[in-house]
Amino acid sequence: MLGKGGKRKFDEHEDGLEGKVVSPTDGPSRVSYTLQRQTIFNISLMKLYNHRPLTEPSLQKTVLINNMLRRIQEELKQEGSLRPVFVTASQPADPLSDNFREAQPAFSHLASQPLLPTDFVSTMPLESCLTPASLLEDDTFCTSPTVQHDGPTKPPPPALQPVKDSFSSALDEIEELCPAPTSAEAVAAVTAADDSKDHPSESNVQKPEGLPESRTAESKLMDSLPGNFEITTSTGFLTDLTLDDILFADIDTSMYDFDPCTSATGAASKMAPVSADELLKTLAPYSSQPVTPNQPFKMDLTELDHIMEVLVGS
Amino acid sequence: FLGAGGGNDIQWCFSQVKGAVDDDVAEADIISTVEFNHSGELLATGDKGGRVVIFQQEQENKTQSHSRGEYNVYSTFQSHEPEFDYLKSLEIEEKINKIRWLPQKNAAQFLLSTNDKTIKLWKISERDKRPEGYNLKEEDGRYRDPTTVTTLRVPVFRPMDLMVEASPRRIFANAHTYHINSISINSDYETYLSADDLRINLWHLEITDRSFNIVDIKPANMEELTEVITAAEFHPNSCNTFVYSSSKGTIRLCDMRASALCDRHSKLFEEPEDPSNRSFFSEIISSISDVKFSHSGRYMMTRDYLSVKIWDLNMENRPVETYQVHEYLRSKLCSLYENDCIFDKFECCWNGSDRQERLFPTELLLSSFHPLCSIVMTGSYNNFFRMFDRNTKRDITLEASRENNKPRTVLKPRKVCASGKRKKDEISVDSLDFNKKILHTAWHPKENIIAVATTNNLYIFQDKMN
Repeated sequence: MLGKGGKRKFDEHEDGLEGKVVSPTDGPSRVSYTLQRQTIFNISLMKLYNHRPLTEPSLQKTVLINNMLRRIQEELKQEGSLRPVFVTASQPADPLSDNFREAQPAFSHLASQPLLPTDFVSTMPLESCLTPASLLEDDTFCTSPTVQHDGPTKPPPPALQPVKDSFSSALDEIEELCPAPTSAEAVAAVTAADDSKDHPSESNVQKPEGLPESRTAESKLMDSLPGNFEITTSTGFLTDLTLDDILFADIDTSMYDFDPCTSATGAASKMAPVSADELLKTLAPYSSQPVTPNQPFKMDLTELDHIMEVLVGS
Repeated sequence: FLGAGGGNDIQWCFSQVKGAVDDDVAEADIISTVEFNHSGELLATGDKGGRVVIFQQEQENKTQSHSRGEYNVYSTFQSHEPEFDYLKSLEIEEKINKIRWLPQKNAAQFLLSTNDKTIKLWKISERDKRPEGYNLKEEDGRYRDPTTVTTLRVPVFRPMDLMVEASPRRIFANAHTYHINSISINSDYETYLSADDLRINLWHLEITDRSFNIVDIKPANMEELTEVITAAEFHPNSCNTFVYSSSKGTIRLCDMRASALCDRHSKLFEEPEDPSNRSFFSEIISSISDVKFSHSGRYMMTRDYLSVKIWDLNMENRPVETYQVHEYLRSKLCSLYENDCIFDKFECCWNGSDRQERLFPTELLLSSFHPLCSIVMTGSYNNFFRMFDRNTKRDITLEASRENNKPRTVLKPRKVCASGKRKKDEISVDSLDFNKKILHTAWHPKENIIAVATTNNLYIFQDKMN
């Protein structure tokens, strides 16, 4: 299931990591948690929308994956409580809804608009960096993973942590360039992102819909579908792809090489797991020391420079 | 373990294997259910191609005391065919999800088999005589010229080669919108339940054109759906009691006397989550894939992804025993989620009682007999299966494979090395084959004989008789 020597590498790496780490509150654990969560989020989305069985997909499986997505989305919402996260599912919503509504033709929408797994992790065009500052800012205020444990019924306010290192100062510079969004602005930013879906000319790429003109129809269709098992826009899975793209700009997309054949037949079970586990093993394990709230989200400074260049336009 | 000697572990030996030898598995041959009948004489399997194959145990040869009778093919028939749901433009799989035997009342055998949508009652009967000497027909069936008939005779029955016929006696259709996952025959032997993801229906075995809905967890707004029914079973003695399990790891016990629609449970069995084991996958691995009452009905056993739990019906807040099937997989859950293995539905079973006959309900009431349910068995990956002895607290891992399996040779216990240095003969977690999964196992109701289904082969193991 895993590559040979993977475990050994991991042990060494972990030792090295622990050797360097002064306190358990350092960045890598936080990064690993966030990355793991995003990995699982993407995997879940792909599971729901990537396979087209001839028979009805298992309702149990769909429900469990949906619950997973909801939980992660709830957590993201709490962490970046200034800006709710939406996931575009307007096109893929249809096959899902069709499964759960009786007497409805299924997969007709899906057939016309093929969904590519790489779409979710595609490198975004530079023009679509609409709110990089807000994302960066939100990431510095990530709350601990223990938030997830309490569930959506217990909403802790995002911990506003003082940031003191060089990363934070660079962050402040970016904030000066782009005004930091308040909650209203964050919503507006999202609305802008949503609106951009309706305008195919916008660079905010919404790849799930193969045809630009279908986007408007799809988003409206999704809102109006009765008995739609898909989550509504209020708690829905409408992706702000800019968030995903930024977080995954550096991720090797070969890990998400979801060949529809293999995922449908479940073959090569030894192959697929290599990617997910290796990804996790290069990071601190989620199950290890609990992560405390004071976690500034550390990004590569080179990546930061890149973003700054984009913003400044140089 | 059981045994006349008492206190001796069962020594399992390979007995037989059924199915194709080659590694290329035909999809239709994938075994999807295994079930002994009430006497253990018959062993039924269902497969993905909609077929049912029934094996019959040879009558024990008294002179050959070293082994119990072998199982040979008794009957094969096509139970379900693929259908097409035109409304949804989807295929309805012919895969047999469950088989349940009815207790034998006359010479014929009856079983219920179900796919995702339709349950069928099959009658399996033997014919070993045929009438000969018709007046109007020749032996080959051609009609005689009536003018040539000069005498009358009474046809007589003459022996013929045994023929086993399976005929569908009842078809219970169009009652399930969602996929049927369980059927369970009531202890009254007149009714049975069928459960799909959201509803449970009660049927009378004689009546096919209507069923009663007894559980409905479909929310008014499907967007609010977060939990489905995963398994259901009638209590073995109380004909008004049944349980159903959910994808959130809960089991609800319902009493049909309380109301027509048993949406409100009488008891709710749920173990609080262990905070130290919390992960993204906690909910998924808590989903219960199988629930089985003990023979007495005092206990029930549930199987979730990593463990088997024994519940006392009198205690709702936690199981009385928990057995870890493959705890070493806990750190691999993300990969198992990615390749869908985390959704595999393992079944579990109790050992049979080798001490007393299976009794009909009236006899049970009169006696103070409580069968032992001291061993539980369940499957894992790499064609491994596990047994847990509740009394000695010992467990064993065995492998179902054609290699190293000689009749009457005791199976070698297997061990998975979770971490660290791998000892000789141990298998590391990384080299487990997750395509080789044992989802279905069955234990003979009266003897120490077990049937273990790999993907497309059926293995039969027996204990070593001295």
